[in-house]
Amino acid sequence: MSGPLTGTRGIVLTHAWAGSYCTQLLGLQGADIIQVEVRKRPDSWRGDYKAPLPKALVEVATAEHPWNCNFLYNSVNLNKRCITLDLQAPAGVAVFKRLLPFADFVVENFSPRVLGNLGLSYDEMRAIKPDVILCSLAAYGHSGPWGNVPGIGGTIEPTSGMSGLLGYRDGPPINSGQMYPDAVAGLNGFAAILTALHHRDRTGEGQYIDVSMQEANLTFLGDAALEYTTTGHVRARQGNRHLTWAPHGIFQCTGEERWIALACESEAQWRALCAAAALGWELDWRWATNALRKEHEDALEAVVGGWTATQDRDALAARLSEAGVLAAAVLDGHEVANDPTLRARGVVREIDHAETGRWPHAVNPLHFSRTPATDVRPAPLLGEHTAEVLAELLGTSGDEYEALVAAGVSGIGPPD
Amino acid sequence: MTAALAGLRVIDLSASVSGAWCSRMLADFGAEVVVVEPPGGSPLRKLAPFDGEGRSLLAALLLANKRSAVLDLEQRRDQVKALELVRHADMLVSSAAPASLAASGLTYAEIAQPALIMCHITSHGMTGELRETPGNELTTAARSGWAFINGDAAREPLKPSGWQSSFCAGTAAYAAIMAALHHRNLHPGEGQEVDIAELEVMVSTFAPALLRGQYLGEPWRRRSESDITAGPVPVADGHFSLTISRAHFWRDAMNLLGLTDLAEDPKWEPGHYRAAHKEEYVGRVQEKMLGWKRMDLFEELAARRVIAGPVLYMDELANNPQLRERGFWVRAEGASEGPEYPGAPFKMSATPWALRGVAPEPGADTAAIRATPAAIGGGE
Repeated sequence: MSGPLTGTRGIVLTHAWAGSYCTQLLGLQGADIIQVEVRKRPDSWRGDYKAPLPKALVEVATAEHPWNCNFLYNSVNLNKRCITLDLQAPAGVAVFKRLLPFADFVVENFSPRVLGNLGLSYDEMRAIKPDVILCSLAAYGHSGPWGNVPGIGGTIEPTSGMSGLLGYRDGPPINSGQMYPDAVAGLNGFAAILTALHHRDRTGEGQYIDVSMQEANLTFLGDAALEYTTTGHVRARQGNRHLTWAPHGIFQCTGEERWIALACESEAQWRALCAAAALGWELDWRWATNALRKEHEDALEAVVGGWTATQDRDALAARLSEAGVLAAAVLDGHEVANDPTLRARGVVREIDHAETGRWPHAVNPLHFSRTPATDVRPAPLLGEHTAEVLAELLGTSGDEYEALVAAGVSGIGPPD
Repeated sequence: MTAALAGLRVIDLSASVSGAWCSRMLADFGAEVVVVEPPGGSPLRKLAPFDGEGRSLLAALLLANKRSAVLDLEQRRDQVKALELVRHADMLVSSAAPASLAASGLTYAEIAQPALIMCHITSHGMTGELRETPGNELTTAARSGWAFINGDAAREPLKPSGWQSSFCAGTAAYAAIMAALHHRNLHPGEGQEVDIAELEVMVSTFAPALLRGQYLGEPWRRRSESDITAGPVPVADGHFSLTISRAHFWRDAMNLLGLTDLAEDPKWEPGHYRAAHKEEYVGRVQEKMLGWKRMDLFEELAARRVIAGPVLYMDELANNPQLRERGFWVRAEGASEGPEYPGAPFKMSATPWALRGVAPEPGADTAAIRATPAAIGGGE
């Protein structure tokens, strides 16, 4: 283990994306993350026990169990240990309560009623571990008239205001290409737990954190929110445009699905773009100032797009970047995975996984000079670490673990 | 209850939305933040949207809860002044790329203060080939993979709306500072440098799509359909998301919509079957949904514990009963009028978030801070 959180531990009940991403970020900074999973109801991001293997894994001899081979689960559960406990069985809850004193924090993203139903409310946890930090991530938080309304990224995106602002200028509201609100909630949970850790360092006091996915996401639209409360104006969808600068868009280049992102945020950048295009744009009164370019943006985009359509994406991106214009090729996921800069900075890394083999992953985006957090371990197999964790923390013998398995409280893979 | 970061002092030299969001969070949880603005004010003050008096609302959001000192970091005299301020600080936030940071004489090495936590938030990081290449929300959306998956397959890729990579990176930077602070709590005197790239934070949030592309042998792409399986679809008074996953969601939603044949036939229970045969039902479901208003449908589905969501706009969110009940919208402490601000990103029981004041005028605190750098906390 390495990183600033080395020596801290979370016993976490996270699943899907928001919670799992939150606890992965903690694990990547060196915290020991012990994720408790339930065999009867597997993490939806492990997928169905009987799901087919993803296409590229069919020929991989070690890829045996679909629930250990899901790209969703494996992408957001790095640096964790996985133990299985049936929390609906008293014996499972009892084991959880024995583990609790070893936890600095607990994180969960169940529906709000679940924790209380399991006998694991904040007060019940605090009775066992007085300074515990408990963080809940729920769709609408743990109070209010919608406190028990279920939600996921795909429904929080609309109810937080995100979908209403995402889309083409002439099109309907849309959701992002994957459930972005989960990532926002996960980042906020991560920030919240570390804030609480500092408070505990200082005072010895734990606390309860209530993350509402709706609120966290709305916070990230804060400028549109304050615009409404100040001026009464409900912002329209902007497509790729900027409220202040023009040009600011994504334009087609030669070839299929080859696009360039291109923007000017100063007159110097605009002049550099004009020079690169060499089409006399600098002479057109409609583009003479940023205000005029904004006013005539449709025509400006038509002209810029007409030019980029004759250009090679990568050559143009390189030439414009060199000239100081804001420009970048629109990369697909494979290109991101192979990006030399991201690899050189260690943010994309190849990780070996016992079943799926060696694949590139997006890992830790935080770089620390004194406490580098560079250790990365693959997502755990379902139940991989139960015996190890029980022995390490509770001094449990192998026989005791086997008894839990025999009772159906723990084990590996689908329930018998 | 005391604020989590009470007593900590922060100098914010950043000129970016991400840097300002990071230090806004530090301020919201109790740190004393002084933002150092160049003569003429922070570049954030020139960005839309504006209020009726031409004041930037983006700046009003991002500079709230802070104090302001104007210093010209291109002048040696003010560089020395800035260094003096930093000597009294626990944390320093910077958005300068390596070359301009070096030119200002404010590198970590030159500051030479081992307990200081210095956080760099830049587009591409302080090392690597792109360290001096400027970036923004648009280029980050392009380089991170997000633009390629957002939008319609038949049209151009879409960046996330607004300032998403700045808010994500600002939050990650705040968390990184907290992690560094935890280390310093356990090892007094041990500060460090933290390096956060907006691009890399967005690559981190892109992780599921990245690995999906690998395991499926081709990159994840923009959607070619716009039906209920993809996101919001039209209803009587707007748009609505019905993301059916579990079997009971399907059954209860189809019954509510009056599609009892779909609800009762067990062949529709498995999600993979529904995905493979969606052309047999999406048209019928969406036609029924057109007969519903957003909030009526949401309430009926919520009562059945079916996951669903209406597309809400800012005027509706400002009056949303859930957000109102939870006290999301707030005015600065002591203010009884003026616009409400979006509130806490998360609720903490022992160390709550607080909006203590609105954004200062540029340089509002310059004189006080120049006179007594040790008083940046405002306590003297």
